[in-house]
Amino acid sequence: MAGNSAFALVQERGWRRGLGNMLRNEMGRWWKTRRWWVNCLIWGGSIGLILGGTLFGKANNPPTGEAAAIVYAIFAGLIPAVAVVIMTQGAVVGEKNDGTAAWVLSKPVTRPAFILSKLIANSLGVVATMVALPGVVAYTMVAVASGSPWNPVAFLAALAVIFLFDFFFLSLTLMLGTLFNSRGPVIGIALVLLLMQQYLIGMLPGLRYILPWNLVVPTGEQVDAVVPCLLVGSHNYSTVPILVVALASILFILVGLYRFNCEEF
Amino acid sequence: MDSSTPYVIETSNLGKTYKNIQVLNALNLKVQHNSIFGFLGPNGAGKTTTIKLLLGLIRPSSGSACVFGMDSVSQSVDIRARIGYLPQEPHFYEHMTARQTLIFTAGFFFKGPKKAIQERVDEMLELVGLDEKADRPIRTFSGGERQRLGIAQAQVNYPDLLILDEPAASLDPLGRRDVLDVMSRLRKYTTIFYSTHILDDVQRVSDTVVILNKGELVVEGSIEELLTGNKGVVYNIHLKGDIEAARTQVLSQPWVSGIITGQHNGDTTWQVSVTDPLAAEARLFKLLADSRVEVTEFRRMKYELEDIFVQVIEGGQNGRK
Repeated sequence: MAGNSAFALVQERGWRRGLGNMLRNEMGRWWKTRRWWVNCLIWGGSIGLILGGTLFGKANNPPTGEAAAIVYAIFAGLIPAVAVVIMTQGAVVGEKNDGTAAWVLSKPVTRPAFILSKLIANSLGVVATMVALPGVVAYTMVAVASGSPWNPVAFLAALAVIFLFDFFFLSLTLMLGTLFNSRGPVIGIALVLLLMQQYLIGMLPGLRYILPWNLVVPTGEQVDAVVPCLLVGSHNYSTVPILVVALASILFILVGLYRFNCEEF
Repeated sequence: MDSSTPYVIETSNLGKTYKNIQVLNALNLKVQHNSIFGFLGPNGAGKTTTIKLLLGLIRPSSGSACVFGMDSVSQSVDIRARIGYLPQEPHFYEHMTARQTLIFTAGFFFKGPKKAIQERVDEMLELVGLDEKADRPIRTFSGGERQRLGIAQAQVNYPDLLILDEPAASLDPLGRRDVLDVMSRLRKYTTIFYSTHILDDVQRVSDTVVILNKGELVVEGSIEELLTGNKGVVYNIHLKGDIEAARTQVLSQPWVSGIITGQHNGDTTWQVSVTDPLAAEARLFKLLADSRVEVTEFRRMKYELEDIFVQVIEGGQNGRK
Protein backbone atom coordinates (compact mmCIF):
# COMPACT_ATOMS: atom_id res chain seq x y z
CA MET A 1 0.00 0.00 0.00
CA ALA A 2 1.42 3.32 -1.06
CA GLY A 3 0.14 4.76 2.16
CA ASN A 4 0.57 7.61 4.55
CA SER A 5 3.02 7.15 7.40
CA ALA A 6 0.53 8.70 9.83
CA PHE A 7 -1.68 5.65 9.46
CA ALA A 8 -1.32 2.19 10.97
CA LEU A 9 -2.97 -0.82 9.39
CA VAL A 10 -5.93 -2.28 11.25
CA GLN A 11 -4.58 -5.21 13.23
CA GLU A 12 -7.66 -7.39 13.72
CA ARG A 13 -7.12 -10.95 12.56
CA GLY A 14 -9.21 -14.04 11.84
CA TRP A 15 -12.99 -13.83 12.17
CA ARG A 16 -12.69 -10.50 14.06
CA ARG A 17 -11.40 -8.72 10.94
CA GLY A 18 -13.50 -5.59 10.46
CA LEU A 19 -15.53 -6.17 13.63
CA GLY A 20 -14.37 -2.98 15.36
CA ASN A 21 -15.30 -0.75 12.44
CA MET A 22 -18.62 -2.52 11.85
CA LEU A 23 -19.44 -2.32 15.54
CA ARG A 24 -18.73 1.42 15.63
CA ASN A 25 -21.03 1.85 12.68
CA GLU A 26 -23.83 -0.27 14.13
CA MET A 27 -23.52 1.38 17.55
CA GLY A 28 -23.75 4.72 15.79
CA ARG A 29 -27.17 3.77 14.46
CA TRP A 30 -28.34 3.53 18.07
CA TRP A 31 -26.37 6.18 19.86
CA LYS A 32 -25.66 8.83 17.22
CA THR A 33 -29.26 9.06 16.08
CA ARG A 34 -32.53 9.74 17.89
CA ARG A 35 -33.18 6.03 18.17
CA TRP A 36 -31.82 5.77 21.71
CA TRP A 37 -33.87 8.53 23.25
CA VAL A 38 -37.01 7.63 21.32
CA ASN A 39 -36.77 4.10 22.69
CA CYS A 40 -35.98 5.35 26.18
CA LEU A 41 -39.04 7.56 26.02
CA ILE A 42 -41.33 4.84 24.68
CA TRP A 43 -40.30 2.03 27.01
CA GLY A 44 -39.56 4.07 30.12
CA GLY A 45 -42.76 6.05 29.59
CA SER A 46 -45.01 3.09 28.83
CA ILE A 47 -43.81 1.09 31.84
CA GLY A 48 -44.25 4.18 33.96
CA LEU A 49 -47.82 4.71 32.75
CA ILE A 50 -48.92 1.07 32.88
CA LEU A 51 -47.31 0.28 36.21
CA GLY A 52 -48.49 3.61 37.57
CA GLY A 53 -52.04 2.59 36.68
CA THR A 54 -51.56 -0.73 38.46
CA LEU A 55 -49.85 0.67 41.53
CA PHE A 56 -51.71 3.90 42.04
CA GLY A 57 -54.99 3.37 40.19
CA LYS A 58 -58.21 3.03 42.22
CA ALA A 59 -59.15 -0.33 40.67
CA ASN A 60 -56.13 -2.05 42.15
CA ASN A 61 -56.02 -0.27 45.44
CA PRO A 62 -54.17 -1.64 47.31
CA PRO A 63 -52.14 -3.49 44.63
CA THR A 64 -50.58 -6.85 45.29
CA GLY A 65 -46.87 -7.37 44.76
CA GLU A 66 -47.74 -10.21 42.41
CA ALA A 67 -49.95 -8.04 40.24
CA ALA A 68 -47.24 -5.42 39.87
CA ALA A 69 -44.65 -8.07 39.06
CA ILE A 70 -46.88 -9.72 36.44
CA VAL A 71 -47.77 -6.43 34.78
CA TYR A 72 -44.13 -5.42 34.73
CA ALA A 73 -42.97 -8.78 33.31
CA ILE A 74 -45.54 -8.75 30.52
CA PHE A 75 -45.07 -5.15 29.48
CA ALA A 76 -41.30 -5.09 29.91
CA GLY A 77 -40.80 -8.47 28.24
CA LEU A 78 -43.48 -9.27 25.71
CA ILE A 79 -44.18 -5.89 24.13
CA PRO A 80 -40.56 -4.76 23.61
CA ALA A 81 -39.90 -8.10 21.89
CA VAL A 82 -42.39 -7.05 19.21
CA ALA A 83 -40.38 -3.86 18.78
CA VAL A 84 -37.13 -5.84 18.62
CA VAL A 85 -38.51 -7.90 15.74
CA ILE A 86 -39.79 -4.82 13.90
CA MET A 87 -36.59 -2.83 14.39
CA THR A 88 -34.18 -5.58 13.40
CA GLN A 89 -36.17 -7.26 10.60
CA GLY A 90 -34.19 -5.36 7.97
CA ALA A 91 -30.79 -5.52 9.66
CA VAL A 92 -29.60 -8.37 7.45
CA VAL A 93 -32.21 -8.86 4.75
CA GLY A 94 -32.46 -5.10 4.17
CA GLU A 95 -28.73 -4.84 3.58
CA LYS A 96 -28.80 -7.87 1.30
CA ASN A 97 -31.54 -6.27 -0.80
CA ASP A 98 -30.13 -2.74 -0.77
CA GLY A 99 -26.72 -3.95 -1.91
CA THR A 100 -24.97 -2.42 1.08
CA ALA A 101 -24.03 -5.87 2.42
CA ALA A 102 -22.21 -6.63 -0.84
CA TRP A 103 -20.46 -3.27 -0.67
CA VAL A 104 -19.37 -3.70 2.95
CA LEU A 105 -18.25 -7.26 2.33
CA SER A 106 -16.02 -6.07 -0.51
CA LYS A 107 -13.91 -4.49 2.24
CA PRO A 108 -11.66 -6.45 4.60
CA VAL A 109 -14.44 -7.60 6.90
CA THR A 110 -15.45 -11.17 7.64
CA ARG A 111 -19.00 -12.35 7.42
CA PRO A 112 -19.13 -13.35 11.11
CA ALA A 113 -18.00 -9.82 11.97
CA PHE A 114 -20.84 -8.43 9.85
CA ILE A 115 -23.51 -10.49 11.65
CA LEU A 116 -22.01 -10.24 15.13
CA SER A 117 -21.70 -6.46 14.92
CA LYS A 118 -25.45 -6.29 14.38
CA LEU A 119 -26.13 -8.75 17.17
CA ILE A 120 -23.89 -6.98 19.68
CA ALA A 121 -24.92 -3.42 18.86
CA ASN A 122 -28.62 -4.24 18.89
CA SER A 123 -28.28 -6.27 22.08
CA LEU A 124 -26.64 -3.33 23.84
CA GLY A 125 -29.29 -0.96 22.52
CA VAL A 126 -32.07 -3.28 23.70
CA VAL A 127 -30.46 -3.82 27.11
CA ALA A 128 -30.04 -0.12 27.75
CA THR A 129 -33.27 1.31 26.38
CA MET A 130 -35.77 -1.56 26.57
CA VAL A 131 -34.60 -3.51 29.61
CA ALA A 132 -32.45 -1.46 32.00
CA LEU A 133 -34.16 1.93 31.83
CA PRO A 134 -37.75 0.63 32.09
CA GLY A 135 -36.48 -1.70 34.83
CA VAL A 136 -35.15 1.22 36.85
CA VAL A 137 -38.42 3.09 36.36
CA ALA A 138 -40.41 0.05 37.53
CA TYR A 139 -38.11 -0.64 40.46
CA THR A 140 -38.39 2.96 41.66
CA MET A 141 -42.17 3.04 41.29
CA VAL A 142 -42.65 -0.23 43.17
CA ALA A 143 -40.33 0.98 45.91
CA VAL A 144 -42.24 4.25 46.22
CA ALA A 145 -45.70 2.62 46.05
CA SER A 146 -45.12 -0.29 48.39
CA GLY A 147 -42.33 1.02 50.55
CA SER A 148 -40.46 -2.26 50.09
CA PRO A 149 -38.46 -2.49 46.86
CA TRP A 150 -37.85 -5.74 45.02
CA ASN A 151 -34.81 -7.69 46.13
CA PRO A 152 -31.99 -6.09 44.07
CA VAL A 153 -30.32 -9.39 43.18
CA ALA A 154 -33.62 -10.97 42.16
CA PHE A 155 -34.43 -7.81 40.23
CA LEU A 156 -31.14 -8.02 38.30
CA ALA A 157 -31.81 -11.71 37.58
CA ALA A 158 -35.29 -10.75 36.33
CA LEU A 159 -33.75 -8.12 34.04
CA ALA A 160 -31.40 -10.77 32.67
CA VAL A 161 -34.33 -13.07 31.94
CA ILE A 162 -36.27 -10.25 30.28
CA PHE A 163 -33.22 -9.59 28.11
CA LEU A 164 -33.00 -13.30 27.29
CA PHE A 165 -36.60 -13.16 26.09
CA ASP A 166 -35.77 -10.20 23.80
CA PHE A 167 -32.46 -11.76 22.74
CA PHE A 168 -34.26 -14.91 21.60
CA PHE A 169 -36.31 -12.86 19.16
CA LEU A 170 -33.35 -10.70 18.16
CA SER A 171 -31.22 -13.72 17.25
CA LEU A 172 -34.22 -15.40 15.58
CA THR A 173 -34.87 -12.30 13.45
CA LEU A 174 -31.22 -11.99 12.43
CA MET A 175 -31.10 -15.69 11.53
CA LEU A 176 -34.27 -15.38 9.45
CA GLY A 177 -32.64 -12.42 7.70
CA THR A 178 -29.84 -14.70 6.56
CA LEU A 179 -32.27 -17.40 5.41
CA PHE A 180 -34.69 -15.28 3.38
CA ASN A 181 -34.33 -12.58 0.76
CA SER A 182 -37.40 -10.52 1.60
CA ARG A 183 -38.67 -8.92 4.77
CA GLY A 184 -42.08 -10.65 4.72
CA PRO A 185 -41.01 -14.07 5.98
CA VAL A 186 -38.55 -12.52 8.43
CA ILE A 187 -41.06 -10.35 10.27
CA GLY A 188 -43.93 -12.77 9.66
CA ILE A 189 -42.32 -15.86 11.16
CA ALA A 190 -40.83 -13.98 14.13
CA LEU A 191 -44.07 -12.18 15.01
CA VAL A 192 -46.26 -15.24 14.49
CA LEU A 193 -44.02 -17.23 16.82
CA LEU A 194 -44.02 -14.40 19.35
CA LEU A 195 -47.77 -13.91 19.36
CA MET A 196 -48.88 -17.52 18.87
CA GLN A 197 -46.97 -18.94 21.82
CA GLN A 198 -49.93 -18.87 24.18
CA TYR A 199 -52.08 -20.71 21.65
CA LEU A 200 -49.37 -23.28 20.97
CA ILE A 201 -48.77 -23.90 24.67
CA GLY A 202 -52.54 -24.26 25.12
CA MET A 203 -52.51 -27.07 22.55
CA LEU A 204 -49.25 -28.67 23.65
CA PRO A 205 -48.52 -27.78 27.29
CA GLY A 206 -45.04 -29.26 27.06
CA LEU A 207 -44.06 -26.34 24.84
CA ARG A 208 -43.94 -24.09 27.91
CA TYR A 209 -40.50 -25.59 28.55
CA ILE A 210 -39.31 -24.85 25.03
CA LEU A 211 -40.84 -21.53 24.05
CA PRO A 212 -39.79 -18.30 25.78
CA TRP A 213 -43.38 -17.36 26.68
CA ASN A 214 -43.21 -18.68 30.24
CA LEU A 215 -40.15 -16.58 30.98
CA VAL A 216 -42.36 -13.52 31.30
CA VAL A 217 -46.03 -14.54 31.05
CA PRO A 218 -47.74 -16.99 33.43
CA THR A 219 -49.37 -19.92 31.65
CA GLY A 220 -52.38 -20.20 33.95
CA GLU A 221 -53.95 -18.82 37.08
CA GLN A 222 -50.83 -19.40 39.12
CA VAL A 223 -47.80 -17.16 38.97
CA ASP A 224 -45.41 -19.59 37.31
CA ALA A 225 -43.48 -17.33 34.92
CA VAL A 226 -39.83 -16.85 35.72
CA VAL A 227 -39.69 -13.04 35.93
CA PRO A 228 -42.64 -12.42 38.25
CA CYS A 229 -41.56 -15.37 40.42
CA LEU A 230 -38.07 -13.91 40.77
CA LEU A 231 -39.51 -10.51 41.69
CA VAL A 232 -41.89 -11.81 44.36
CA GLY A 233 -39.42 -14.39 45.71
CA SER A 234 -41.44 -17.43 44.59
CA HIS A 235 -39.80 -20.66 43.47
CA ASN A 236 -42.82 -21.80 41.53
CA TYR A 237 -41.03 -21.71 38.16
CA SER A 238 -38.96 -24.02 36.00
CA THR A 239 -35.40 -23.18 34.97
CA VAL A 240 -35.72 -25.40 31.89
CA PRO A 241 -37.10 -22.66 29.62
CA ILE A 242 -34.18 -20.41 30.60
CA LEU A 243 -31.74 -23.05 29.47
CA VAL A 244 -33.68 -24.00 26.33
CA VAL A 245 -34.18 -20.39 25.24
CA ALA A 246 -30.50 -19.60 25.82
CA LEU A 247 -29.45 -22.66 23.80
CA ALA A 248 -31.97 -21.88 21.05
CA SER A 249 -30.64 -18.32 20.81
CA ILE A 250 -27.10 -19.63 20.44
CA LEU A 251 -28.33 -22.08 17.81
CA PHE A 252 -30.02 -19.25 15.89
CA ILE A 253 -26.75 -17.30 15.91
CA LEU A 254 -24.76 -20.30 14.69
CA VAL A 255 -27.25 -21.08 11.93
CA GLY A 256 -27.24 -17.41 10.92
CA LEU A 257 -23.45 -17.31 10.79
CA TYR A 258 -23.31 -20.52 8.77
CA ARG A 259 -25.98 -19.42 6.32
CA PHE A 260 -24.49 -15.96 5.84
CA ASN A 261 -21.12 -17.55 5.20
CA CYS A 262 -22.64 -19.54 2.33
CA GLU A 263 -24.35 -16.48 0.86
CA GLU A 264 -23.16 -15.17 -2.50
CA PHE A 265 -23.33 -11.46 -3.22
CA MET B 1 3.58 -5.00 -3.52
CA ASP B 2 4.31 -8.72 -3.74
CA SER B 3 7.47 -9.08 -5.76
CA SER B 4 7.31 -12.85 -5.33
CA THR B 5 4.33 -13.09 -7.68
CA PRO B 6 4.80 -12.00 -11.25
CA TYR B 7 1.12 -11.21 -11.68
CA VAL B 8 -1.34 -9.26 -9.58
CA ILE B 9 -4.21 -11.42 -10.80
CA GLU B 10 -3.88 -14.95 -12.09
CA THR B 11 -6.83 -17.21 -12.77
CA SER B 12 -6.68 -20.82 -13.72
CA ASN B 13 -9.66 -22.35 -15.53
CA LEU B 14 -11.93 -20.20 -13.40
CA GLY B 15 -15.57 -21.11 -13.82
CA LYS B 16 -18.92 -20.29 -12.29
CA THR B 17 -22.23 -22.05 -12.71
CA TYR B 18 -25.58 -20.83 -11.44
CA LYS B 19 -28.36 -23.40 -11.41
CA ASN B 20 -26.77 -25.43 -14.20
CA ILE B 21 -26.10 -22.32 -16.30
CA GLN B 22 -22.44 -21.77 -17.02
CA VAL B 23 -21.83 -18.02 -16.69
CA LEU B 24 -18.05 -18.24 -16.72
CA ASN B 25 -16.09 -20.98 -18.39
CA ALA B 26 -12.43 -21.87 -17.80
CA LEU B 27 -11.14 -18.31 -17.66
CA ASN B 28 -7.38 -17.90 -17.67
CA LEU B 29 -6.20 -14.37 -16.98
CA LYS B 30 -2.87 -12.86 -16.10
CA VAL B 31 -2.73 -9.23 -15.06
CA GLN B 32 0.65 -7.60 -14.68
CA HIS B 33 1.71 -5.13 -12.02
CA ASN B 34 0.98 -1.47 -12.69
CA SER B 35 -0.99 -2.13 -15.82
CA ILE B 36 -4.41 -0.86 -16.78
CA PHE B 37 -6.35 -3.93 -17.75
CA GLY B 38 -9.58 -3.40 -19.70
CA PHE B 39 -12.17 -6.08 -19.32
CA LEU B 40 -14.72 -5.93 -22.14
CA GLY B 41 -17.79 -7.82 -23.08
CA PRO B 42 -21.49 -7.44 -23.77
CA ASN B 43 -24.02 -7.59 -20.96
CA GLY B 44 -24.08 -11.03 -19.40
CA ALA B 45 -20.62 -11.93 -20.66
CA GLY B 46 -19.41 -12.73 -17.14
CA LYS B 47 -17.42 -9.58 -16.32
CA THR B 48 -19.08 -8.79 -12.99
CA THR B 49 -19.07 -12.47 -12.06
CA THR B 50 -15.31 -12.56 -12.62
CA ILE B 51 -14.84 -9.46 -10.46
CA LYS B 52 -16.95 -10.92 -7.67
CA LEU B 53 -14.96 -14.14 -7.82
CA LEU B 54 -11.73 -12.18 -7.47
CA LEU B 55 -13.13 -10.39 -4.42
CA GLY B 56 -14.38 -13.58 -2.80
CA LEU B 57 -17.98 -12.37 -2.83
CA ILE B 58 -18.90 -15.55 -4.69
CA ARG B 59 -17.16 -18.91 -4.88
CA PRO B 60 -15.89 -20.51 -8.05
CA SER B 61 -17.62 -23.65 -9.31
CA SER B 62 -14.36 -24.73 -10.91
CA GLY B 63 -10.77 -23.56 -11.18
CA SER B 64 -9.16 -20.96 -8.98
CA ALA B 65 -8.13 -17.34 -8.80
CA CYS B 66 -5.12 -15.82 -7.10
CA VAL B 67 -4.73 -12.13 -6.31
CA PHE B 68 -1.30 -11.02 -5.05
CA GLY B 69 -0.52 -14.73 -4.95
CA MET B 70 -3.32 -15.35 -2.45
CA ASP B 71 -6.27 -17.66 -2.99
CA SER B 72 -9.52 -15.79 -3.63
CA VAL B 73 -11.55 -18.16 -1.47
CA SER B 74 -9.43 -18.94 1.57
CA GLN B 75 -7.60 -15.59 1.76
CA SER B 76 -10.27 -13.26 0.44
CA VAL B 77 -10.15 -10.91 3.43
CA ASP B 78 -6.38 -10.45 3.06
CA ILE B 79 -6.88 -9.80 -0.63
CA ARG B 80 -9.59 -7.23 0.02
CA ALA B 81 -7.30 -5.43 2.45
CA ARG B 82 -5.19 -4.44 -0.56
CA ILE B 83 -7.95 -3.73 -3.04
CA GLY B 84 -10.14 -0.77 -3.83
CA TYR B 85 -13.41 -1.81 -5.45
CA LEU B 86 -16.09 0.15 -7.23
CA PRO B 87 -19.22 -1.95 -7.81
CA GLN B 88 -21.22 -1.58 -11.00
CA GLU B 89 -24.08 0.03 -9.08
CA PRO B 90 -22.60 1.48 -5.90
CA HIS B 91 -24.90 1.17 -2.88
CA PHE B 92 -24.01 3.02 0.28
CA TYR B 93 -25.81 3.68 3.55
CA GLU B 94 -28.33 6.33 2.53
CA HIS B 95 -28.36 8.11 5.88
CA MET B 96 -24.60 8.71 5.83
CA THR B 97 -22.93 11.69 4.22
CA ALA B 98 -20.17 11.29 1.65
CA ARG B 99 -17.62 12.23 4.31
CA GLN B 100 -18.99 9.69 6.80
CA THR B 101 -18.96 7.02 4.11
CA LEU B 102 -15.30 7.62 3.36
CA ILE B 103 -14.36 7.66 7.06
CA PHE B 104 -16.31 4.42 7.54
CA THR B 105 -14.55 2.86 4.53
CA ALA B 106 -11.11 4.01 5.72
CA GLY B 107 -11.83 2.44 9.12
CA PHE B 108 -11.66 -1.04 7.58
CA PHE B 109 -8.10 -0.45 6.43
CA PHE B 110 -6.22 1.85 8.72
CA LYS B 111 -6.38 3.90 11.86
CA GLY B 112 -4.57 7.05 12.79
CA PRO B 113 -4.97 10.62 13.96
CA LYS B 114 -8.41 12.01 13.17
CA LYS B 115 -6.83 14.96 11.40
CA ALA B 116 -4.81 12.74 9.05
CA ILE B 117 -7.87 10.64 8.23
CA GLN B 118 -9.86 13.79 7.64
CA GLU B 119 -7.18 15.07 5.29
CA ARG B 120 -7.19 11.83 3.32
CA VAL B 121 -10.99 11.97 3.08
CA ASP B 122 -10.88 15.60 1.94
CA GLU B 123 -8.25 14.70 -0.65
CA MET B 124 -10.51 11.97 -2.07
CA LEU B 125 -13.58 14.21 -2.05
CA GLU B 126 -11.68 16.86 -3.94
CA LEU B 127 -10.31 14.32 -6.39
CA VAL B 128 -13.82 13.30 -7.45
CA GLY B 129 -15.32 16.77 -7.20
CA LEU B 130 -17.58 16.10 -4.24
CA ASP B 131 -15.89 18.46 -1.79
CA GLU B 132 -18.85 20.83 -1.79
CA LYS B 133 -21.34 18.03 -1.24
CA ALA B 134 -19.33 16.22 1.40
CA ASP B 135 -21.83 16.72 4.19
CA ARG B 136 -25.00 15.96 2.30
CA PRO B 137 -26.74 12.63 2.99
CA ILE B 138 -26.22 10.13 0.18
CA ARG B 139 -29.97 9.71 -0.32
CA THR B 140 -29.90 13.14 -2.00
CA PHE B 141 -27.13 12.16 -4.46
CA SER B 142 -27.67 11.65 -8.18
CA GLY B 143 -26.42 8.54 -9.97
CA GLY B 144 -23.31 10.36 -11.18
CA GLU B 145 -22.52 11.65 -7.68
CA ARG B 146 -22.85 8.16 -6.26
CA GLN B 147 -20.48 6.93 -8.94
CA ARG B 148 -17.96 9.63 -8.00
CA LEU B 149 -18.28 8.69 -4.35
CA GLY B 150 -17.77 5.07 -5.37
CA ILE B 151 -14.53 6.01 -7.06
CA ALA B 152 -13.40 7.97 -4.00
CA GLN B 153 -14.13 5.14 -1.57
CA ALA B 154 -12.31 2.69 -3.82
CA GLN B 155 -9.13 4.75 -3.53
CA VAL B 156 -9.26 5.92 0.05
CA ASN B 157 -7.08 3.02 1.26
CA TYR B 158 -4.18 3.54 -1.19
CA PRO B 159 -5.00 0.21 -2.89
CA ASP B 160 -2.40 -1.91 -4.67
CA LEU B 161 -5.15 -3.03 -7.02
CA LEU B 162 -8.17 -1.04 -8.12
CA ILE B 163 -11.08 -3.08 -9.43
CA LEU B 164 -13.62 -0.90 -11.15
CA ASP B 165 -16.83 -2.33 -12.53
CA GLU B 166 -18.07 0.09 -15.19
CA PRO B 167 -16.44 3.14 -13.58
CA ALA B 168 -17.72 5.67 -16.10
CA ALA B 169 -21.16 4.21 -16.69
CA SER B 170 -23.23 6.91 -14.98
CA LEU B 171 -20.94 9.84 -15.65
CA ASP B 172 -21.32 12.73 -18.07
CA PRO B 173 -18.52 13.27 -20.64
CA LEU B 174 -16.58 15.56 -18.30
CA GLY B 175 -16.90 13.10 -15.45
CA ARG B 176 -15.72 10.33 -17.75
CA ARG B 177 -12.71 12.35 -18.78
CA ASP B 178 -11.88 13.01 -15.12
CA VAL B 179 -12.12 9.31 -14.26
CA LEU B 180 -9.82 8.36 -17.12
CA ASP B 181 -7.35 11.03 -16.05
CA VAL B 182 -7.39 9.71 -12.50
CA MET B 183 -6.82 6.18 -13.78
CA SER B 184 -3.87 7.30 -15.88
CA ARG B 185 -2.35 9.14 -12.92
CA LEU B 186 -2.76 6.16 -10.60
CA ARG B 187 -0.98 3.81 -12.97
CA LYS B 188 2.41 4.35 -11.34
CA TYR B 189 1.08 3.46 -7.87
CA THR B 190 -1.41 0.74 -8.58
CA THR B 191 -2.77 -1.86 -10.98
CA ILE B 192 -6.18 -1.12 -12.43
CA PHE B 193 -8.54 -3.84 -13.54
CA TYR B 194 -11.73 -2.46 -14.93
CA SER B 195 -14.73 -3.58 -16.88
CA THR B 196 -16.52 -1.32 -19.28
CA HIS B 197 -18.58 -1.21 -22.41
CA ILE B 198 -17.30 2.25 -23.42
CA LEU B 199 -14.74 1.24 -26.00
CA ASP B 200 -13.27 4.72 -26.50
CA ASP B 201 -12.23 4.73 -22.85
CA VAL B 202 -10.51 1.38 -23.16
CA GLN B 203 -8.63 2.51 -26.23
CA ARG B 204 -7.48 5.65 -24.43
CA VAL B 205 -6.09 4.25 -21.23
CA SER B 206 -5.69 0.48 -21.32
CA ASP B 207 -2.46 -1.45 -21.75
CA THR B 208 -4.07 -4.84 -22.09
CA VAL B 209 -7.56 -5.78 -23.16
CA VAL B 210 -9.60 -8.89 -22.75
CA ILE B 211 -12.91 -9.48 -24.45
CA LEU B 212 -15.26 -11.89 -22.81
CA ASN B 213 -18.32 -13.33 -24.53
CA LYS B 214 -20.83 -15.77 -23.08
CA GLY B 215 -18.50 -16.54 -20.23
CA GLU B 216 -15.51 -17.29 -22.43
CA LEU B 217 -12.40 -15.31 -23.16
CA VAL B 218 -12.40 -14.64 -26.88
CA VAL B 219 -9.68 -12.03 -27.33
CA GLU B 220 -6.70 -11.04 -25.25
CA GLY B 221 -3.79 -8.81 -26.07
CA SER B 222 -2.12 -5.48 -25.71
CA ILE B 223 -4.07 -2.59 -27.11
CA GLU B 224 -1.45 -2.15 -29.87
CA GLU B 225 -1.73 -5.77 -30.92
CA LEU B 226 -5.49 -5.61 -31.08
CA LEU B 227 -5.61 -2.34 -32.98
CA THR B 228 -3.09 -3.62 -35.49
CA GLY B 229 -5.35 -6.58 -36.12
CA ASN B 230 -4.51 -10.19 -36.66
CA LYS B 231 -3.51 -9.72 -40.30
CA GLY B 232 -0.32 -7.85 -39.41
CA VAL B 233 0.32 -4.36 -40.77
CA VAL B 234 -1.78 -3.55 -43.81
CA TYR B 235 -1.62 -0.50 -46.08
CA ASN B 236 -4.74 0.64 -47.85
CA ILE B 237 -3.83 2.24 -51.19
CA HIS B 238 -5.96 3.73 -54.00
CA LEU B 239 -4.22 3.91 -57.43
CA LYS B 240 -4.62 4.98 -61.03
CA GLY B 241 -2.30 4.23 -63.97
CA ASP B 242 -0.08 1.28 -64.93
CA ILE B 243 -1.10 -0.95 -62.10
CA GLU B 244 0.38 -4.26 -63.25
CA ALA B 245 3.99 -3.06 -63.41
CA ALA B 246 3.68 -1.46 -60.03
CA ARG B 247 2.13 -4.59 -58.61
CA THR B 248 5.00 -6.74 -59.84
CA GLN B 249 7.46 -4.27 -58.42
CA VAL B 250 5.81 -4.17 -54.99
CA LEU B 251 5.31 -7.93 -54.77
CA SER B 252 9.00 -8.48 -55.46
CA GLN B 253 9.91 -6.80 -52.18
CA PRO B 254 10.87 -9.31 -49.44
CA TRP B 255 8.84 -7.43 -46.81
CA VAL B 256 5.56 -7.63 -48.77
CA SER B 257 3.53 -10.72 -48.00
CA GLY B 258 0.57 -10.13 -50.30
CA ILE B 259 -1.73 -7.73 -52.12
CA ILE B 260 -5.50 -7.92 -52.25
CA THR B 261 -6.82 -5.99 -55.25
CA GLY B 262 -10.22 -4.35 -55.61
CA GLN B 263 -12.05 -1.44 -57.22
CA HIS B 264 -13.47 1.71 -55.70
CA ASN B 265 -15.01 4.64 -57.69
CA GLY B 266 -12.89 3.85 -60.72
CA ASP B 267 -9.69 3.53 -58.72
CA THR B 268 -7.85 0.32 -58.13
CA THR B 269 -7.55 -0.45 -54.45
CA TRP B 270 -4.83 -2.50 -52.85
CA GLN B 271 -4.54 -3.90 -49.39
CA VAL B 272 -0.82 -4.52 -49.06
CA SER B 273 0.18 -6.78 -46.18
CA VAL B 274 3.72 -6.27 -44.97
CA THR B 275 5.97 -8.20 -42.64
CA ASP B 276 8.37 -5.35 -41.87
CA PRO B 277 6.44 -2.19 -41.00
CA LEU B 278 9.62 -0.07 -40.81
CA ALA B 279 10.78 -1.03 -44.28
CA ALA B 280 7.27 -0.49 -45.62
CA GLU B 281 7.04 2.91 -44.02
CA ALA B 282 10.35 3.95 -45.55
CA ARG B 283 9.99 2.49 -49.02
CA LEU B 284 6.46 1.59 -50.08
CA PHE B 285 5.25 5.03 -51.05
CA LYS B 286 8.51 5.83 -52.89
CA LEU B 287 8.27 2.56 -54.80
CA LEU B 288 4.79 3.46 -56.02
CA ALA B 289 5.82 6.96 -56.98
CA ASP B 290 8.72 5.59 -59.01
CA SER B 291 6.38 3.16 -60.79
CA ARG B 292 4.47 6.01 -62.44
CA VAL B 293 1.14 5.26 -60.89
CA GLU B 294 -1.02 7.99 -59.40
CA VAL B 295 -1.59 7.38 -55.70
CA THR B 296 -4.91 8.93 -54.67
CA GLU B 297 -5.00 7.50 -51.16
CA PHE B 298 -2.33 5.95 -48.97
CA ARG B 299 -2.84 5.02 -45.36
CA ARG B 300 -1.86 2.41 -42.89
CA MET B 301 -4.94 0.49 -41.83
CA LYS B 302 -5.76 0.59 -38.17
CA TYR B 303 -8.62 -1.16 -36.50
CA GLU B 304 -10.80 0.62 -34.01
CA LEU B 305 -11.47 -1.36 -30.89
CA GLU B 306 -15.13 -1.18 -31.76
CA ASP B 307 -14.45 -3.04 -35.04
CA ILE B 308 -12.69 -5.78 -33.16
CA PHE B 309 -15.39 -5.92 -30.50
CA VAL B 310 -18.21 -6.19 -33.02
CA GLN B 311 -16.23 -8.69 -35.07
CA VAL B 312 -15.62 -11.04 -32.17
CA ILE B 313 -19.02 -10.70 -30.56
CA GLU B 314 -21.23 -10.75 -33.65
CA GLY B 315 -18.93 -12.81 -35.79
CA GLY B 316 -18.83 -15.31 -32.96
CA GLN B 317 -15.09 -15.15 -33.22
CA ASN B 318 -14.34 -18.20 -32.18
CA GLY B 319 -11.94 -16.39 -34.46
CA ARG B 320 -9.86 -16.11 -31.38
CA LYS B 321 -6.73 -14.15 -31.63
